[in-house]
Amino acid sequence: MASVSVTNARKSYGNFEVLHGVDIDIQDGEFVILVGPSGCGKSTLLRMIAGLEDISAGGISIGSRLVNNVPPKERDIAMVFQSYALYPHLTVEANMGFSLKLAKASKEEITRRVREAAQILGLEHLLQRYPRNLSGGQRQRVAMGRAIVRNPQVFLFDEPLSNLDAQLRVQMRSEIKQLHQRLKTTTIYVTHDQVEAMTMADKIVVMRDGFVEQIGAPLDLYDRPANLFVASFIGSPGMNLIRGEICTTGPLTFIAEGGFELPLPPEATVTHGAKVVYGIRPEHITIGQGSVSTQVVLIEPTGAETQVTTKVGPQQLIVTVRDRVDIHSGDPIAIAPDVSKLHLFDKATGKRLT
Amino acid sequence: MKPTYLYRLMIWVGIAVLLIWSLGPIYWTIASSFTPTDDFSVRPIHFFPQHLTFDHYARLLGINIARIGGVEVFKQFRAALVNSVVTSVAATFLCVAISALGAYAFTRLEFPGRKVLFVLVVATLAIPAYAVLIPLYQIMINLHLVDTYVGVALIYVSAFLPLSLWLLRSVFEALPIALEEAAQLDGAGRLYIFFNIVLQLAGPGLTAAAILTFLGAWGQYLVPLIFSPQATKPLTVLIPEFVTKNFVDYGLITASGSIAIIIPALVVIFLNRYLVSGLLAGSVK
Repeated sequence: MASVSVTNARKSYGNFEVLHGVDIDIQDGEFVILVGPSGCGKSTLLRMIAGLEDISAGGISIGSRLVNNVPPKERDIAMVFQSYALYPHLTVEANMGFSLKLAKASKEEITRRVREAAQILGLEHLLQRYPRNLSGGQRQRVAMGRAIVRNPQVFLFDEPLSNLDAQLRVQMRSEIKQLHQRLKTTTIYVTHDQVEAMTMADKIVVMRDGFVEQIGAPLDLYDRPANLFVASFIGSPGMNLIRGEICTTGPLTFIAEGGFELPLPPEATVTHGAKVVYGIRPEHITIGQGSVSTQVVLIEPTGAETQVTTKVGPQQLIVTVRDRVDIHSGDPIAIAPDVSKLHLFDKATGKRLT
Repeated sequence: MKPTYLYRLMIWVGIAVLLIWSLGPIYWTIASSFTPTDDFSVRPIHFFPQHLTFDHYARLLGINIARIGGVEVFKQFRAALVNSVVTSVAATFLCVAISALGAYAFTRLEFPGRKVLFVLVVATLAIPAYAVLIPLYQIMINLHLVDTYVGVALIYVSAFLPLSLWLLRSVFEALPIALEEAAQLDGAGRLYIFFNIVLQLAGPGLTAAAILTFLGAWGQYLVPLIFSPQATKPLTVLIPEFVTKNFVDYGLITASGSIAIIIPALVVIFLNRYLVSGLLAGSVK
């Protein structure tokens, strides 16, 4: 096990820079998820850590060793690929023992370690099969088994669940998390799915367009997004973001584009006339009371909760309610944002204000 | 929509024409090889042989001793058959081995001038053999490689390498790179990956390249006519020699032609097993 540190790492292809100086510190044993929309550079960064892409500038260290010029096989890392990348002409057992065989481990040791890993993952009965005879979930497990067998310093996962169906994805998600709790190996995991990031990570790195937008624990990112991008990316349904400005005179209130007013907390430190974005999560709005009158557009019950889409002027606001409600689309309804859970962002820079 | 009667008729006619076109000469060769020498001059000609004989095969295989120009026919034939097999097999192995290594380098290694070099090599496909025959002959004379297995095999390799290289490069490009990256992380070096991962998965492509090269080498006439005049003379050069000043031995020509068809047919049937696709299933996705 080892810590990993990425210092001002840059990657360019010719004149085109895809990573613009990324800094990430990963503690020993931590489960870190790199998340962001496609093209944000998360996979490239992972491949740089693996040694499959070279580092244009900056540094990457595993443990105390700078690995910029260390070939992949000497970095003591194991990677699980999105496509699994199982060797099709080898059995599950040979796939899992491949690296040990290359490391010239004895036959007994290979067998012992492969069996151990197979037992952890419930693959014992599949050891003599070929990858083509396995289901998607089993292939995924073999790919993980191949990584576990090596007992590496760091596990790297590159969107490992994106080829699985929804149900299996949820199951594998918890299996990977339990596996990490058991092995406590430093893990770096790339996904574009913020739900995966929220549920599995000790620490999330949100990336966009080659920049790190925010690094933090899942709930910290949820509760205090540093900017508009993180606010909109983390959470499902996403945070309601309403553009507008602070009133120019009198007690502080927020005037949205379209003319309606929304309340601000008394302690808000904003200046009169400032152009801001008003952010409020769907579960922090109550319906049936309050000063903002809206019209119901859509009701989406999921069972545990109900999503109500309402319309205020030109803006749509999504509200989630835990209780069963008897409202219908077209109904007028009053809503009240919980101002203590309010997020205010600077409209020009997108940065968090409070 | 259900195909109309006319549409189906056209398909069947097309298939029939193609079959007659490609199988007709083969039938004629085989039928003639069982026809007695005297019957060749009988008119009108018959589609089915009127009398059957194994005399031509007997002469070729040495059961009846026949001589042309003082040399026993079956010894000539046996030597030519061996020569054809040796040069074709050697050329096939060399060509596939070299082009596999080359194609892998062109696919996965980054080196300056990679694209230009590849285009140059493949462009030599456009050069007809007769254009380089004279200079090549001089080179081979100087290297003392005329009428040797090595010389002929090398010429075949240089002739068929570009095609094989081209084919194998597209085969390697189609292999998922994640497999090689996984092997790299597992601690494998380039050559280990090449021999233990890439070649294992490129079986169908290698087989296709081998078949193309073997068939190409087996059918060569012009090159061995010049470079294999005596000791390494193959079937393609020997068979026309059954045409002498006074007599065209159609029986020998067609019988040896029939045997010359059987060998590549067997090779293709044997290698065909390895052409199966679907080996990759289950590795990725």
